[in-house]
Amino acid sequence: MSELSSFVATANVPIAEPPETPKLPPREWVKANLFSSRFNSALTVVTTIILLVMSRGFLGFLFNPERQWHATATNLRLLMTHGYPEEQYLRIWVSFAVILTLTGMSMAVWRAGSAMPATELGRKLLTTGATLALLVFLAPFSARATVQWLIAALVVVAIGETFRRAGGEGETERTVSTLTLLVVALTGLVASLWVIPYGRHTYIADRTPKMLAEPGTVALSTKLPWTLMLIVAVAAYFAGIFLRDRLSVNPLRVTLAVFWLLAPFALVFLVLRDPAFDLGHVIGTDIPIFLAYAVLGGALLLWLTRPSTGEIGRIVAAVVLVAGFAMFLTPMRMIVRFDMLMLAAFALAAPTFAGGPQARKRYTVGWLGVLGVTSWLITAVNTPSTVDVPRDFPFGGFSLTLMVAAFTILISFPLGVALALARTSTMPIFRLLATGFIEVVRGIPLITVLFFFSVVVPLFLPDGMEITEIAAVVVGYILFSAAYLAENVRGGLQSVMRGQHEAAEAVGMTASQKTVFIVLPQALRVSIPPLVGHCIGVFKETSLMAIIGLFDILYIARNVIPNQFEFLGTTKENVLFVSLIYWIFAYQMSKASQRLERRTGLGER
Amino acid sequence: MTDATATEPVGGQTKDLSGARDMIVCEGVSKWFGDFQALDGVTATVREQEVVVVLGPSGGGKSTWIRCINRLEQHQEGRIVVDGVELTNDMRNIEKVRSEVGMVFQMFNLFPHLRVIDNVSLAPIWVRKKPRAEAEEQAMALLERVGIPEQAHKYPGQLSGGQQQRVAIARALAMEPRVMLFDEPTSALDPEMIKEVLDVMRNLAHSGMTMMVVTHEMGFAKEVADQVMFMEGGQIVETGTPEHFFTNPTEERTKLFLSQILA
Repeated sequence: MSELSSFVATANVPIAEPPETPKLPPREWVKANLFSSRFNSALTVVTTIILLVMSRGFLGFLFNPERQWHATATNLRLLMTHGYPEEQYLRIWVSFAVILTLTGMSMAVWRAGSAMPATELGRKLLTTGATLALLVFLAPFSARATVQWLIAALVVVAIGETFRRAGGEGETERTVSTLTLLVVALTGLVASLWVIPYGRHTYIADRTPKMLAEPGTVALSTKLPWTLMLIVAVAAYFAGIFLRDRLSVNPLRVTLAVFWLLAPFALVFLVLRDPAFDLGHVIGTDIPIFLAYAVLGGALLLWLTRPSTGEIGRIVAAVVLVAGFAMFLTPMRMIVRFDMLMLAAFALAAPTFAGGPQARKRYTVGWLGVLGVTSWLITAVNTPSTVDVPRDFPFGGFSLTLMVAAFTILISFPLGVALALARTSTMPIFRLLATGFIEVVRGIPLITVLFFFSVVVPLFLPDGMEITEIAAVVVGYILFSAAYLAENVRGGLQSVMRGQHEAAEAVGMTASQKTVFIVLPQALRVSIPPLVGHCIGVFKETSLMAIIGLFDILYIARNVIPNQFEFLGTTKENVLFVSLIYWIFAYQMSKASQRLERRTGLGER
Repeated sequence: MTDATATEPVGGQTKDLSGARDMIVCEGVSKWFGDFQALDGVTATVREQEVVVVLGPSGGGKSTWIRCINRLEQHQEGRIVVDGVELTNDMRNIEKVRSEVGMVFQMFNLFPHLRVIDNVSLAPIWVRKKPRAEAEEQAMALLERVGIPEQAHKYPGQLSGGQQQRVAIARALAMEPRVMLFDEPTSALDPEMIKEVLDVMRNLAHSGMTMMVVTHEMGFAKEVADQVMFMEGGQIVETGTPEHFFTNPTEERTKLFLSQILA
């Protein structure tokens, strides 16, 4: 090779930094960006006028003395839980506390929260304060109210400016944890319940319905539980940190994920319904069935997971599967058939998990755990409930919206991923079934699916099996949502480059290892924006349940409250309030999506 | 060390390969992509500890042949036997061969969502079932061997090309393979990084690894190879020691190729 055929740098060639565009002072910025040409100036003026007029109109509407905001305030309980009896409210608070505990611990274990530079916080507060001041001027407040709100806005601006100046730059930069900010904000809200006299509103729906509107502080039955909830959430976070530092992270995360998946079932069937367990039945029937399957199933699985079992193991597993299906032909308890099918699933999967004594023991313990939890839940589902609610369902209102949305998202997500993997699988039977399911479900509107599941499915169920309307609707919604999610995930799967598959195969990974460790993480990462968009859609489309007679928050706001004697014609106020709630939750989901994208390095690595 | 002057000895270091058994045996391997024949009756043997370099023009079938050896491509005719295991449609055989054969790709193909140390230790943990601590220790040792232990906690996207390729080599070595396949490992790199990677490959060869390298780096072939094969049109046109190949080739086609590249 001749000496000059290639150039090799001997030292780092310094690259000059691009010249910094100087930050313009506000006046110059406005001139340069908003009034740079005649057209721009005209546009700026017109847009500003439109915005001001709209804001004034909207604020005027909001603060018009004709507005009956106490229609919403009085009916808050109705909006939140509709028909749930007041004396059973402890159950709702317990359920909420359980969810907050899981959330707090999850935030600790998955290291939620980040550090926001103090200067950025200061700037955000400044902008908020300035906007608040502007809105105060636009709103039709009395002089006293204007002064009060202006003072509040000035306080916000002052705090913002302090943060901005104390923030420091570069090396000495001070940061604030976003979690601290969240807790401070929530504590402020809860403290305001104790301090600010929002008044006490209740609606007593008697033969002569009357309204109680007492000025003064909020009722203890509202203040106290919310305070306790805040304390529970914060305590759970610190408990999560404690566990995270002491235990190994991955098993902890898996345990928490399992608890999340079980929580909806446990809460609905064990806490909110208050099942009346018939001890005689439990001891005489349920426990013997469980013990029989535990012992026999455990022995079978211990044998099947021996590496030396070989082909005869697969034959035995297939026999169990056939027996499970055959059981549907003879009359017997549903739970016996269901347990047999679960055992068949475990038996078929056993050879994959074959190994040494440790691995076999773990697998059998897994079987016992799954069997125990499902037996317990099924027993709870089948017992009558002692909670007396109108129309035989736990509740309506916002709790129903949250419950249906959370269930659907939690369960349709793994199902959607499984469907996507089935549709792109190399085995024709999986591909056919998955494609068929997705294409059929995508062709049917959601309302049809909901109708079908609430009206038609109960007719098809075998004798002795009942399903509550909510459960039927949720199942239908889960299947519907899973089909859409599957297509989003399939797009992500197809975006993973061929080279990744080859590298994983070259290093000796099996197809399932390759999918779990290499393909799915990259596929799901790419699909985060459409997936979260779909989840937001699921949350909002729960309002369609009203058509089948499940009263969600929007239905109550539109139809129930404006039909109350005192509050005729208050549709606008209630619907505005409900829109605010929807917006708050949808925006939080959107922000969570952005955080997730940043965390997984989408677009960076 | 890499100057190709006239006095430089040509050929790999003196190894005694007389008693070595056959690691890779290909007999009459043919492969078609639709109507196009990519491999035409390829017959070759790679013995243990031997370093084989495959040269040839683009589209000659070199990459296809190497990818057939670990079943990334499937051959339609002939036999491929790797360390006594024949490559058939039986998944167990394929998995056995893949765990014995390590591969390094032209485009690195590192896993972008994992840190470097996780890239290297992932397969030993889940395929060889090693405990995590042991696998990570081994990963750090391998990263030191290829010269980049300080990059262990970075993501592949933060590394230069040469560093990425060295991580890819470490990842392949983590499975303790008997054979290493290299599919144009330096074609995507610039000259300074090529030297980095070739140094690692040279050390690997000196430590006794059986290697099969598809490359255009003639210097490497002259210095390190025990056998050089020239492939064109899906056939092995000529094979021989580097000495024979570069100074006194037999076939016309080989002479033409050499005259074009050794200007």
